[in-house]
Amino acid sequence: MNALAGAIQLIGGLALAPLLPGSIQALKARLQGRRGPSPLQPYRELRRLWGKSLVDPQPTTLLYRLAPCLVAAAMILSLFLVPIAGLSPNWPLGNDAIVLVGLFAFARFALAASSWDTGSGFGLMGSSRDLTLSVFAEALLVLALILAALPVGSTDLVAMSSAANGSAAWSQPAHWCAAGAFGLVVLFETGRQPIDNPDTHLELTMIHEGPLLEYAGRDLALLQWSAAARHWIILVLAAELYLPHWGGFGARLACLVGGVALICVTLAFTETAQAKMRILRAPALLAGGCLLALVGLISWLVS
Amino acid sequence: MSLGVDPHQGVERLSVPVSGWREACQSALADGERFCGAFAGGSGSGRRWRALFARGASTRILSTAPEGDELPSVVDFLPAAEWDEREAHDLHGLRFRGHEPLRALIAHPRDASSWTIPVEGEGVYEIAVGPIHAGVIESGHFRFHVVGERILLLDLRLFYKHRGLERAAEGQELAEGLVYAQRSCGACAVTNSVSYALACEAVLGLATSRELRRARTLLLELERLYNHLNDIAAICAGVGFAPGNMAFAALKERAMRLNLSLAGHRFLFGSVEVGVSRLDLPSAAVDQARGELRELRHDTARAWREIQFAPSVQGRLDDVGVLGHDDAARLCAVGPVARASGLRQDTREDSPALWYGSSFAAALPPVADGDVAARLEVRALELVEIFSMLEELFATPVRPDEASSAGPSTSIGVARVESPRGETVCVVEAEMYRVRRLHLRTGSYANWPSLVLATAGNLLPDFPLINKSFELCYACVDR
Repeated sequence: MNALAGAIQLIGGLALAPLLPGSIQALKARLQGRRGPSPLQPYRELRRLWGKSLVDPQPTTLLYRLAPCLVAAAMILSLFLVPIAGLSPNWPLGNDAIVLVGLFAFARFALAASSWDTGSGFGLMGSSRDLTLSVFAEALLVLALILAALPVGSTDLVAMSSAANGSAAWSQPAHWCAAGAFGLVVLFETGRQPIDNPDTHLELTMIHEGPLLEYAGRDLALLQWSAAARHWIILVLAAELYLPHWGGFGARLACLVGGVALICVTLAFTETAQAKMRILRAPALLAGGCLLALVGLISWLVS
Repeated sequence: MSLGVDPHQGVERLSVPVSGWREACQSALADGERFCGAFAGGSGSGRRWRALFARGASTRILSTAPEGDELPSVVDFLPAAEWDEREAHDLHGLRFRGHEPLRALIAHPRDASSWTIPVEGEGVYEIAVGPIHAGVIESGHFRFHVVGERILLLDLRLFYKHRGLERAAEGQELAEGLVYAQRSCGACAVTNSVSYALACEAVLGLATSRELRRARTLLLELERLYNHLNDIAAICAGVGFAPGNMAFAALKERAMRLNLSLAGHRFLFGSVEVGVSRLDLPSAAVDQARGELRELRHDTARAWREIQFAPSVQGRLDDVGVLGHDDAARLCAVGPVARASGLRQDTREDSPALWYGSSFAAALPPVADGDVAARLEVRALELVEIFSMLEELFATPVRPDEASSAGPSTSIGVARVESPRGETVCVVEAEMYRVRRLHLRTGSYANWPSLVLATAGNLLPDFPLINKSFELCYACVDR
């Protein structure tokens, strides 16, 4: 079973991740009355970009060159951390939640550093917005993870996932608060409305897309895959830790698939119904999530 | 001073010595007249600097002969003339005393300091956008001076599409000059053509018949219809509200297909001619058009309700990109932009050469505070008006007709026509039935400086939204 979970961690993360943003796009198109691209469109994009030559802006240093590889490497490592249906083989990396937070921060830093390296206005603008919002989003992520870690007293993701198994977790108000807070993490990390607009061509409004404007060819393919992998990691984590699941490996695997699908559909719906919010209100939204998580924490401490 | 009044055309021409130029402009403004453009007319030793002022349906042309290449500037009390003076400097080598520094407008010098306004201070940085954009947007270069996310100042560099159309039209026969005005822009093709045709008819001493007026008004309102639908879609895209964007984009497409079926062209190219209308719509065609327009009206009302009841959209519109009433008046803003700021300025109210009667009244939003919400609201209100007018205009079959001779010909004709973006002014100077000088000042040209003002102090990510709420053309500004 462990081996199967490990295989899904790796193959699922590498190969199935682009299907998540692809199917959200396809569903969104339907909801907006368009035919839209097929869910497989991100794969076509990756193939097209992979076949293209690299163009480097001048002057740039090694930072710019390495950033896509570093971001992708951080995402690949993160794939091993997140258990599938509560199981993960004994990878030498372990399964600590705090490592995951660190890897995400590292990826964010690498991309921001690449923007500083090129000095391009759009890249810097996107990165600085991303870094500003991540002050709130990282606090939110840590708080939500701590809430999930409290019942087992460990930040090991496998243990946390087992603690969320069954119906016992849902009798705790802290779990509800954590689920709500993590919902905002999902919005931010996947770059979705109302915080960011993944479909926009308006450079001045971009957050996550901004730093990507400077990249082409394989670099861009790596970064786009990384964005898809981020979807995969965050959505699987959300389903593993915060959505209901129960039973043995098979049943939990079915719950995982259902949970991820449910989040995809929810994202498509919120993105269709919600316009993007004014950028200075996004920190307030994320801070509201932090408050919710703190309420959860207090409820845990007093109960 | 010589005085030549032609009451039939409502145009008054006034020659002013160069020494009295500033006083003449000041007294025109003091009389409550509205500035609507200045340009270099005439040619050779007969070169004149002309300024246009309007009150109601009448237009006054002030002309003066420059001393060599020099003229007194009026920008200190008439900032709306800034672009006109900069353009005349770049294209005609005129120099304006008191307009300091006279920055390049159409010319594109390499040195950025020659066209941008210097901004200094701690934490100020520049963001350069365009002229090539990530989306399908016309070519224009925007330079933002920013602190954090807040815009201090926006510098514009347009005229990447300057094709020299005014110069190219010179020497053409009057009827053939029309295409130069028309093709200066896709989205304002009818307004540009009608204003050119009316200016030529003023030159030729032709009076428009009732049927001709109806045919042209019909085309103008069809143009306004698809433009307003497009602009509402663009505002939705500016806040990332895809369902509204898609709904209005689909409505615009239907309006353009209606254009195609009625006039044979989606942008209504080739539907207007000097002195004649060839638009022939038998009763079957007008009935069909009315049916389609009724459906469009119903679906538009429904799509508009969707936007009104989307709180995430409404929350983005208020107090963003505010152009105050006094600023709009000072910069002589026109069209929906002016009306959203509470200025009652709609040239359709004073267009005797078109079908709009005295009953026509400009649509002003209930809360005209000049923000994005007000500019959106104006367009929605006008759409209701457009549908009602088209219903009336399509009541009977449209027949071809031509203008009739009503008076002597003159050497200069002026026409002012309301485009979807505001008043477009066309001046035709003629000699032996040929164009000696053509000048086209579109609603977009008049409004770009207002956009710059409305942008200052706003957030950088809100700029696309503010820009789309103005939705100005580039091509017919660049000419």
